[in-house]
Amino acid sequence: MDIESIKSDETLDARGLSCPMPLLKTKKKLKEMKSGQILEVWGTDPGSKNDIPDFCKKNNNELLGISDEAQGYSRFFIKKG
Amino acid sequence: MFRTIIKEEFGKGYAVLFEEKWPAWIAGIVIALISLGIFLWNSPLGITGGYQNWGNWMLYYLIPGFSKPEHTPWQHTLSLTNIGLFVGALASALLSRQFKFRPAPPIEYAKGVIGGVLMGTGSALASGCNVGAFYTGVGMLSIGGYSMMIGLCIGAFIGLKVLLWEMEHIPAKPVSAKPKTEVAGSSVNWTKVQQVIGAMILFAIVGAFYGFAAAGKTRDGGLLFFGLLLGLVFHRSRFCFVRAFRDPFMTGESEMIKAIALSLLVYGFGSALIKWSYIQPPDMGVVQPFWIGTLVGGAVFGIGMVLAGGCGTSTLWRAGEGHIKLMITMVTFAITNALADQIKDKTQLAAKLGSKIFMPDILSWQIAMPVFLAILLVWVILADWNEKTEKLVIF
Repeated sequence: MDIESIKSDETLDARGLSCPMPLLKTKKKLKEMKSGQILEVWGTDPGSKNDIPDFCKKNNNELLGISDEAQGYSRFFIKKG
Repeated sequence: MFRTIIKEEFGKGYAVLFEEKWPAWIAGIVIALISLGIFLWNSPLGITGGYQNWGNWMLYYLIPGFSKPEHTPWQHTLSLTNIGLFVGALASALLSRQFKFRPAPPIEYAKGVIGGVLMGTGSALASGCNVGAFYTGVGMLSIGGYSMMIGLCIGAFIGLKVLLWEMEHIPAKPVSAKPKTEVAGSSVNWTKVQQVIGAMILFAIVGAFYGFAAAGKTRDGGLLFFGLLLGLVFHRSRFCFVRAFRDPFMTGESEMIKAIALSLLVYGFGSALIKWSYIQPPDMGVVQPFWIGTLVGGAVFGIGMVLAGGCGTSTLWRAGEGHIKLMITMVTFAITNALADQIKDKTQLAAKLGSKIFMPDILSWQIAMPVFLAILLVWVILADWNEKTEKLVIF
């Protein structure tokens, strides 16, 4: 799937935050969303690239993809399971 | 032909070392082997003593009349390992093209300051941090290592509660990432430059080892080099003690617990081999007061490490990766620990914190080792059960 064409339902800006805040906020946001909806998380912490995929795998959420932006942050696309 | 093969193989090796993340369990084994190396080379791995040395120097310059520390940071054995760890992580971040100065919102800096103060205080009470009091404590078969472990669990739980409270009550103001300013006509390839600087730092430390050896300080040079190896491994695997204590309550994940338990298995049996054969004295590294000092100190330290997002070691390697928050934590940790340790000495508090007990002294070697193994197994089984049932997850 081309991740640039994903339309997310919610966006979470966690740029500048460090471990564990991005993951904590992601978990909270996902709790408020409906199954099948897509959450887009913006983050700058290098640890997130391991934390978020591991978390998604464990909790049956689907990580649709990660894209690195030229501005120096990453966008994570998560489909709630 | 020969050149292309070499180039290809080098590229593959480089990718494995500096592009892909190292599995935590392999890092756990490697960290145990390096720690055993340090134990054989000089004395067991400790981190807090290095911070304390830096803190004493800062206090010496800040407070008139404060006594001058005995050793400079490049003469102090534990400080040398810390310097190596920090520089190793910096080199590793550069070689993996991940180094960047990383600013954070003001509230994160505040948590960094408070986290450092709590860790400095807790590690003074426990005579060590998550490494000296917990990892080396358990690995060197000191009973105080286990009360530290319980203390860290309690502290991580409270710390996570604080973070959850913060998330509900304090609105976050994220820093907007600045767009990269492209310098027109500039042909400097920053990622290449990073790698070259990273490689130069590695060679500089190896060079420093030869320098120390030439000056008759082989032991000190070796400790710097061991620290460098630790920094590389910690950074590449993102080996994090905070996660082992926090994740059971946060996501239920048990990966880090398993990696640390495996690491302790190698470290503990390795140290038993070395101590039982009297290559090093049996009570070496048994400095953790059982139980008040380590339990209370561990809890205070545990809150601090969750707020800061870094413990004794991960504060160093995350600072090396460019996190400004953790650089601030490094300073407050060092100053608080140096101050708290002086107060501890002056008030004779140390005597009330507990006694240093070497497990085989009270249980015998024959019973101590199975007990050591059993406790690690129980920890892993509990973590596994919690991962499946999420019974301990509070959020």
